[in-house]
Amino acid sequence: MRRNPRSLSLVLGLIGWAGLSACGDRPAEPTPAGTRGVASALSSDAAGSDLGFARALVPRPFLFPADHGPHPEFRTEWWYVTGNLISSEGFSFGFQWTIFRQALAPQTPDRASHWGARDVYLGHFAISDIAGRRFRSFERFRRGALGLAGASAVPFRVVLDDWVLESLTANEKSLGNSTWPARLQATAGEGKERTAIDLRLNQGVPPVPQGDRGLSKKGAAPGNASYYYSLPRMPAHGEIRLGGKSFKVSGLAWLDREWSTSVLSPDLIGWDWFALQLGDGPEGDDLMLYRLRRRDGTAAPESRGSWIASDGTSRSIDWRDLVLTESATWTSPKSGARYPAEWRVQIPREHLDLVIRPRLADQELDGTFRYWEGAVVVSGTRAGRPLLGQGYVELTGYADSAPPPR
Amino acid sequence: MRPSAASAAPRRAPLLARANRRHLLRHPWQLALAVLGVALGVAVFVSIDLANQSAKKALSLSLDEVQGRTTHEIVASAPAGIPEELFVALVRAGVRPAAPIVEGSVVVLPRRSGARPEALRLLGVDPFSEAPFRPALGKLGGGKAGESGIDLGHFLTTPGACLLARATAGRFGLTVGDRFTVRVGAERRNLVFAGLLDADAQEASSSLADLLICDLSTAQEATDRLGYLSRIDLLLSADAAGQRELARVRALLPEGLEIQEAEGRLREGDEMTRAFRMNLAALSLLALICGAFLIYNTMTFLVVERRRLIGQLRALGATRGEIFRGVLQEALAIGAAGTVLGLGAGVVLGRGLVRLVTGTINDLYFALSVRSLALPPLTFVAGIVVGLGVTLLAALAPALEATATPPRGAMVRSLLEGKSRRALRRATMAGATLLALGALALPIPSLLASFFVLFFAVVGFALLAPGAAVLLGRALRAAIGRRSGRLGWIGRMAASGLERNLSRTGVAVAALVVAVSVTVGVGAMIASFRGSVERWLERSLTADLYVAPAEREPGFVGASRPAEMVTRLGAIPGVVRVRPLRRAEVSSPASGAGRVRLIAVDGDPAATVIRQGEPKSAWEGFARGEILVSEPLAARLGLKVGSVLPLGTAFGVKPFRVAGIYLDYASDRGIAMIDRAYYARLWRDDRISGFGLDLAPGATEAEVARVATAVRTLDPEAPLAVRSNKELLRNSLVIFDRTFKITAVLRFLAGLVAFLGVLSALLALQLERTREIGVLRALGMTNGEVGALVATETGLLGLSAGLLSIPVGFVLALVLIEVINRRSFGWSMDLVLAPGVFLGALALSLGAALLAGLVPAIKMARTSPAEALREE
Repeated sequence: MRRNPRSLSLVLGLIGWAGLSACGDRPAEPTPAGTRGVASALSSDAAGSDLGFARALVPRPFLFPADHGPHPEFRTEWWYVTGNLISSEGFSFGFQWTIFRQALAPQTPDRASHWGARDVYLGHFAISDIAGRRFRSFERFRRGALGLAGASAVPFRVVLDDWVLESLTANEKSLGNSTWPARLQATAGEGKERTAIDLRLNQGVPPVPQGDRGLSKKGAAPGNASYYYSLPRMPAHGEIRLGGKSFKVSGLAWLDREWSTSVLSPDLIGWDWFALQLGDGPEGDDLMLYRLRRRDGTAAPESRGSWIASDGTSRSIDWRDLVLTESATWTSPKSGARYPAEWRVQIPREHLDLVIRPRLADQELDGTFRYWEGAVVVSGTRAGRPLLGQGYVELTGYADSAPPPR
Repeated sequence: MRPSAASAAPRRAPLLARANRRHLLRHPWQLALAVLGVALGVAVFVSIDLANQSAKKALSLSLDEVQGRTTHEIVASAPAGIPEELFVALVRAGVRPAAPIVEGSVVVLPRRSGARPEALRLLGVDPFSEAPFRPALGKLGGGKAGESGIDLGHFLTTPGACLLARATAGRFGLTVGDRFTVRVGAERRNLVFAGLLDADAQEASSSLADLLICDLSTAQEATDRLGYLSRIDLLLSADAAGQRELARVRALLPEGLEIQEAEGRLREGDEMTRAFRMNLAALSLLALICGAFLIYNTMTFLVVERRRLIGQLRALGATRGEIFRGVLQEALAIGAAGTVLGLGAGVVLGRGLVRLVTGTINDLYFALSVRSLALPPLTFVAGIVVGLGVTLLAALAPALEATATPPRGAMVRSLLEGKSRRALRRATMAGATLLALGALALPIPSLLASFFVLFFAVVGFALLAPGAAVLLGRALRAAIGRRSGRLGWIGRMAASGLERNLSRTGVAVAALVVAVSVTVGVGAMIASFRGSVERWLERSLTADLYVAPAEREPGFVGASRPAEMVTRLGAIPGVVRVRPLRRAEVSSPASGAGRVRLIAVDGDPAATVIRQGEPKSAWEGFARGEILVSEPLAARLGLKVGSVLPLGTAFGVKPFRVAGIYLDYASDRGIAMIDRAYYARLWRDDRISGFGLDLAPGATEAEVARVATAVRTLDPEAPLAVRSNKELLRNSLVIFDRTFKITAVLRFLAGLVAFLGVLSALLALQLERTREIGVLRALGMTNGEVGALVATETGLLGLSAGLLSIPVGFVLALVLIEVINRRSFGWSMDLVLAPGVFLGALALSLGAALLAGLVPAIKMARTSPAEALREE
C-alpha cells in the first residue's frame, strides 16, 4: 500500500485554513489538524462526498504514457518518488519527492478568472543526510491553476512551483518518444537550510501493477480500492545540494503511482509501508509490503505485499504468509510519538528472513500531516544466502495520541 | 531645646494642615472649581490623545492585517496592475515566499431597506501563499476549521465565496451560507458569505472588521481585474542574501513594474493622517494652556485669600519651608483629585472624540474603523504628569509669594497689590519677549517650530493681557473723567478696581483672553477655510451635472466601455458636452512621494486657478503633456514651476515637468493634473472614473432634473450616481463641516475652561472684597448700587478681555492659517474676517464675566454691613 488516499483528504479537508500555516517553505509547526491525525480522517467525511467521482471497482489495464499523467475523474492521486543515493565521496542520502493531487470538486468550475481551480496540489520534499545525521523536510500547497501546479501525461510533467518531475524526451529529441528518462527537481529552504535535488531518472524495471492486476483493495466494501502501479527500480543520478555544499549522487529510486476516490474503512488507525530493493547492485528483486493497522492493534485482512523479481514479474503475498515483528522503537522528541524502529520480516514461502533498520532515527515529517518516512537498510538471508538491500519505510498513525473523536 | 524643637514640628504640622484644610472646606465652591479646572484640562488633553492614538492604532492594525510581515512588494505603475503571469514566473524562478494580492473596495448593499450601504475593503488572497505573510489569515480557524465553517474547497471553488469577521457579518445580518450583493464601481456582484473570519485576538478581529476576504479568483472576477494582480508581497531578509534576492527579483521585473519597501504603505498612511492629527494636537495644546491658566488662577487665589491666615501662622512660628510645603501639598491634593477625575472624563470624552476623528479620516482619507478605544498606558502617564505637573508648576509662584512675605506683610493687602504691579511689569516684559521669540521662530519651516510659534503667541499675549487691561481701565477712567452722578463714580470705582485688584484680575483677564482668543482664532480659521473651499468649489464646479460611481470608492464608470459611455451620455437630449475624467494613483520614485494621485482631464482653464506660474504658459505646457500640481502636492514634495516629478508609467519611470501650481482642496496629499489623452497613452488606461456634463446655457432646474433622470436610468444594471453642481457643492460643504466638528467641540471646551476660569477668579475677587463692600455699605451705598458696582467691575473685566482677544484671536488665526495649515497641509486660504466671530467673542467674554459676577453680586447685596465688617 502506499499513502492512504484519505490521508490527503484529511490533510486538505480538515486543515482548512489551519493547515495553511504549515505551507511555508520550511519544516512547518505542528498544527492541531496534524495531531488530530489519521483516525479522524478515517472516521469522518471530512473529504466530502464521493458523489461525482469515479471509483476503483474492477481491474483495468494500465495504458502508458497516459496513466503516468493525471486521472481527474478520481478525487485523489499521487506521484511518489523515494530513493537511496550515494555520493562520489561515499556519503549516503535518502530522498522523498511527493506530489499529491486532491480534487475539491468533481467538475471544473466555470470561472472567468484563471485562478479558478478544482485541484489542490500538496508537495512533500525531504532529504535524509545520513553522514551528516540531518533530516530536512518541506511542505508546499498550491492550486492547480496557471501552471503553478499541475500534471500532464504527454509531455509527461508533474509540477508544483519549482518542484518538477518532467520527461526529458520533450527537449532531447535523441531520446525518442518515451516518458523516460525524466528529470526530478526540487529546491527549498534559505541559506544554510537550502536544500535541493536534481536527478535524472530512468525507467529501469517496467511498471509493475500492484494488488489484483493493478486494483489495490484497501477495504472489504467494493470501491474501497485504488489503482496502483510502481516503478520499483529506477536508476537515478544527479546532484544534491545542502547549504553551500554540492554532492554528485547516484542510486536507485522507486516511483509509486496511485489514484482513487475512497479507500480505507473507518476502523483503521494507520499503516506501515515498506518498499525494499534487495541486492547490492542495480539488478535485484524488490519487496513491497503494507500493513493496515486496526484499532485493536491487529493487521487488517487487506494488508498484503508483493514480490517483484528482477525480470519485472511479480507475485502477490498474502499477509497470512508472512511474519512481521518489531524489535525496537524510537520516540520523537518533537511530537512525543513512538514509532517502531526495527523490523524482522519472515516470508517462509520465499525463504526470506530480513532485518530492516532506519538509516537515521529521526526521519519524521512534522508538516500538516505528521508521519515517519525514511531511508532504511536491509540485511538478512534468502534461502540461507546473505542478502543486503535498501529501501523506504512509511509509518502513519503513530503521532495521534488522542483517542479518535467519534 | 533640641528635644522640644523636635517635638514642636509634629505638633505644628497638623495644625498647619488643619488650618489649610478647614479653610478649603469653608470654601467648597472654590475647592470644587479648582478640582474641576484641573480635571477639565487633563480631560481635554487625555481625550484628544486617546482619540489620536486610537485612530493611529486602527490605521496600523488595518494596514498590518493587509500588509502582515511583508517586507517588499511588487507594484505596477499602471492602474491595471501586475499581469498575473509574473507571479508564475517568480514562483518558477524560486522566489519564495511570495503572495499575490488583488485589492479593491466594494460597497455592500443592504438587504434590509433603511440600512445604509457600507464600504468594505476587498482583499483577494491565495490561501496557499498567505501563511508566511499574514499570520491572522494563516491562523484563521486554527484547528477549528470545522467549527468556523470554513471549507477550503468551498472557499476556492465557489464563485463569490468570501469571509467576513463575526462583527461585520452581524452588522449586515448575514449568516454563513447567505448570498448578498455588493457594488463594485457601477457594477453589481453577488457574493456568498462562506465563513467566519475570526482571529483569536481581539485586536486582530477589530482590524478585520472592514475586510472582506476572498480567493484571488473571486476578487479578480468581482473587481473586473481578470488577468491582473494589485501587488505581490515578498519577504526578503535584511542581510546580504536578501539584497541579492532583491536584485534578482528586480531583474525579473518587466517595464512598468517595480519593487518597493512595504513599510512605505504604513508610513504613507501615517503621513496622510499626521497633519490632521497634528492640527488636533495643536488645539488640545491650546485647551491645555487655558486649563493651566485656570489652575494657576485658582492656586493664586487660594494663596492670596489666605494671606492673613499665612501671616498668622508665620507669626505663630511656622517656617517658610512649612508654608511652602503646605501650599504645594495642597496643590498636589487638588491636582491629584482633578487628575483622577480628568482621566475618567478623558476616557468618556475620548469615546466621543474618536468617533469624530475616525469620521474625519473616513471622509478625507480611507475606510478606517475604530470600534474600540485604545487605552495606551502612556497616555494616562502623560495625563498624570500634565495634571500634577501643571498644578504644581502653577502653584509654585503663589507658594513662593506666600513664603517670601514677612509675617506682618502677609496681612497687609496693599503690599501684595504693590508687588502685583511690579509683577505686571515683569509679565509684560516676559510677554513681549515671548512674542518676539515667536516672531523669530516664524520662518523656521518645521511643524514643531510652528507649534512653538503658536504656544509663544498664546502665552505671550496672555502675559500682555493684564497690562493691556490696566491701560484699558485707565483709558476708561479718563473717558468718564470727572463726570458726576452715579454712573460716574461707579464707573470710576470699577475702572480703577481693575488696576487695584490686579493680583486676581490680572490672571482672570489673561485666562479669559487666552480662551476667547482661541475661540476667535479657531473660528476665524474655520471660516476662512470654509470660505476658500466654497469659492474654490463654485469656481471649479463648472459642469451642470456630475456622473460618478454611486459611492466614493475608486471604481470605474463603464470600466470596459468608456468610449461608448461618452457617446451614450452625449446622446441624451439637452447634453451639450461630455467631459470624462480619470482618477488614478501612480507610483513615483521621488523621495517621499509614495503613490501620487493623478487626475486626467481635458484641461479647463476656467475652472482651475493657477497660483504659481503664468497661466497661459502653464496651459500650453499642460497641452504638451506637462503636469499641473496642486498646492498641497507642491508643498509636500517641494515642487516649483519648472521642477520635474518622476512618475512610473506603463513604460517605466518618466520625468514630468511641472507647468504650474494650482489651487485645490480635494486632497491634502495633493494631486497632479495631466491631459487625459497623454494619460491614456502613457498608462495604457482609457477607463473613466466620472463625467462632467454641460447642458445648454440657461438650462432650467427642470431641464437639469430631466437630464439627471435620463443618466440615472441609462443602464439599469449598472446605475450611476448623478449630482448637480449645487448638490455637489452642498455635499462637499457638509463633509467639510463634519470634518471640522471636532474642532468646534474643542473650541467649545476651551470656552468652557475659560468660563470656569473667569467664574472662579471673580468669585474669589468678590468674596474677598466682602469687607470693602461692607465699608461701602456702611458709608451709605444701597444694595442696588453695590450690585451695579460688582456688575460693572466684572463687565469691564469681560469687556477688556473680549476687546483684547479680538486682535489676539486675529493673530492666532493668522498663525493657524499661515503657519500650521500651510505648513502641514500646504493649503493656502484667504483670511476671512467674519464679524460674527468677533462679536461672538465679545458676547462670550462679556456674558461669562457678567454671569460670573451675578452670584457674588447677589450675595454681597444681601450681606449686612455689620456682618461684613465683623471680620476684624
